Amino acid sequence: MLITLFNAALIVLITWLAYRYFELRERTGPVEGRYAQFLAGVASIVDRIEGYDAAHSAEVADTAEKIGAAAGFDAEQLQSLRAAAMLHDIGEMLLPRDILRTSERLDDERVDLMRTHPILGELHLKTRIETPDEVPAIIRWHHERWDGLGYPDNLKGEEIPKAARILALADAVSAMRHTRPYRHRNYTDMKEIDAEVERQSGLQFDPDLIALWLNISQDYQIRKI
Amino acid sequence: MLRLQSSWLLEAAAEHAGVDSLFFPYFHRFSALNWLSRKEITLYLNSPVDSQAMLARAWINCRDGGFGERNLQKFNQVIKKPLELDLNPFRTWKDRFFGSQQLDYLFYWREAAYEIEDEKQREIFWSVVYQIISYWVANQKAGTRIIYEPDQIMAYYLNQHQRFVRGRSGRVEISCIPLEELAAGKNPLIVFPLLFEDEENSETELQIIYHAWFHGYADLEQSRRDLRNILRHYLISFEKSSDWSLFVRLAAGADSAALTWSGRDLPPKIYEQELIGPMRQAFSAAYKSSRLTYKAVDRTCDAYDYLLMFHN
Repeated sequence: MLITLFNAALIVLITWLAYRYFELRERTGPVEGRYAQFLAGVASIVDRIEGYDAAHSAEVADTAEKIGAAAGFDAEQLQSLRAAAMLHDIGEMLLPRDILRTSERLDDERVDLMRTHPILGELHLKTRIETPDEVPAIIRWHHERWDGLGYPDNLKGEEIPKAARILALADAVSAMRHTRPYRHRNYTDMKEIDAEVERQSGLQFDPDLIALWLNISQDYQIRKI
Repeated sequence: MLRLQSSWLLEAAAEHAGVDSLFFPYFHRFSALNWLSRKEITLYLNSPVDSQAMLARAWINCRDGGFGERNLQKFNQVIKKPLELDLNPFRTWKDRFFGSQQLDYLFYWREAAYEIEDEKQREIFWSVVYQIISYWVANQKAGTRIIYEPDQIMAYYLNQHQRFVRGRSGRVEISCIPLEELAAGKNPLIVFPLLFEDEENSETELQIIYHAWFHGYADLEQSRRDLRNILRHYLISFEKSSDWSLFVRLAAGADSAALTWSGRDLPPKIYEQELIGPMRQAFSAAYKSSRLTYKAVDRTCDAYDYLLMFHN
């Protein structure tokens, strides 16, 4: 008798919890979806200002998410990584347009100015977020290099948060897939890009991530240009 | 592990007064000072570790350009036949961090550099070996392919060095004085990048290897002991209460003092309780007020970066 009552109570409890879960999902789901759409909209403005004719930020976010998942990131970490990837170059919106759209090689002074964009992005996002959040920090460090010769802080190796290391790799891969006017070399197929990425293991990129990327690159066939 | 964020430091300092010079009694890694060294600020940098002070001279205070073309032709040679391993002082490192070919080059580069007449040029050549060791060790640990041949990676980093020092005109002074003998300088801001006693990471391991190579030691334990001994009064402990007297003495001539560190696996509240409280107490005689700021780096593992500013 007691067992039957207990079972009945358990069923009621599970049903109520399931109801609450679906009710909550229904309430938050569309908000999350809308938030992602607005983020994509903002990112597409940055892409256009940077001179990309395709959705660069969304592509970086997809690639970063795949590498992050392979690296064992949990849902919260993946969400931060995706948000940072979508907004990684947002600081460029505060720079003079002629620097972003020029096809000429930038002089030292303009290179220095260009290199402030991760800090500008971090600062402007941070002022709008009340509680400490890692997304501005990931944006700040997406141009750091594994060997300490990146910018703005010249962080080195594991000092660079893994999310920022992943973003740096995803950004570089995406950039290599698009033709850019100032680049010495434009890549014609994905094998060339993979070879270049592998050459940069321990120089520009975290060697552990290179191994992950080369697996993903084959498994997921991200090979369209 | 420490993420020094120079723009954050200057922002925090600018809230109180203009900063035209900075004093680092100790810096944890030369390249972290790149951003500051390009500003219109005078930098007084000290490292009691001679190998690290040399790296800073070669990369941060190099106004004469990069490694000369003639020296490049002369000293970046390809070793065609394996060298006699018995002659190599680093032979015990074989298969621990490096392969035979890499050990040949580590031996050759160290010895060949003595023939470079200009000391600044020699320091550039030696300093690049730090980057190469870092490259080899990182790839060896990850099990990834090392694509560049030793002479190619030497040429690559000499080129990177040239780019790194281009347009450098900042005012930088670098010294190598033991912390106990270092005098408190009159400065607007003194900066202490904090190191924790129990922490050994890939960068500290690299600095141990490089210090051993620089001095020609085979014994990495000796190098580790040397470094710990040099920094014995500077390392912070979580286990026992730290002695802040060295810090307070060095900050005596500074208008403001900044202590910065990167925390791991502990929430900010614990740091406030265990570390910041005693720091505030130690500096209370010298400074009227303090301000703590911190940033999230990865909230899932409670990684935050901290900046504690003291000022009057």
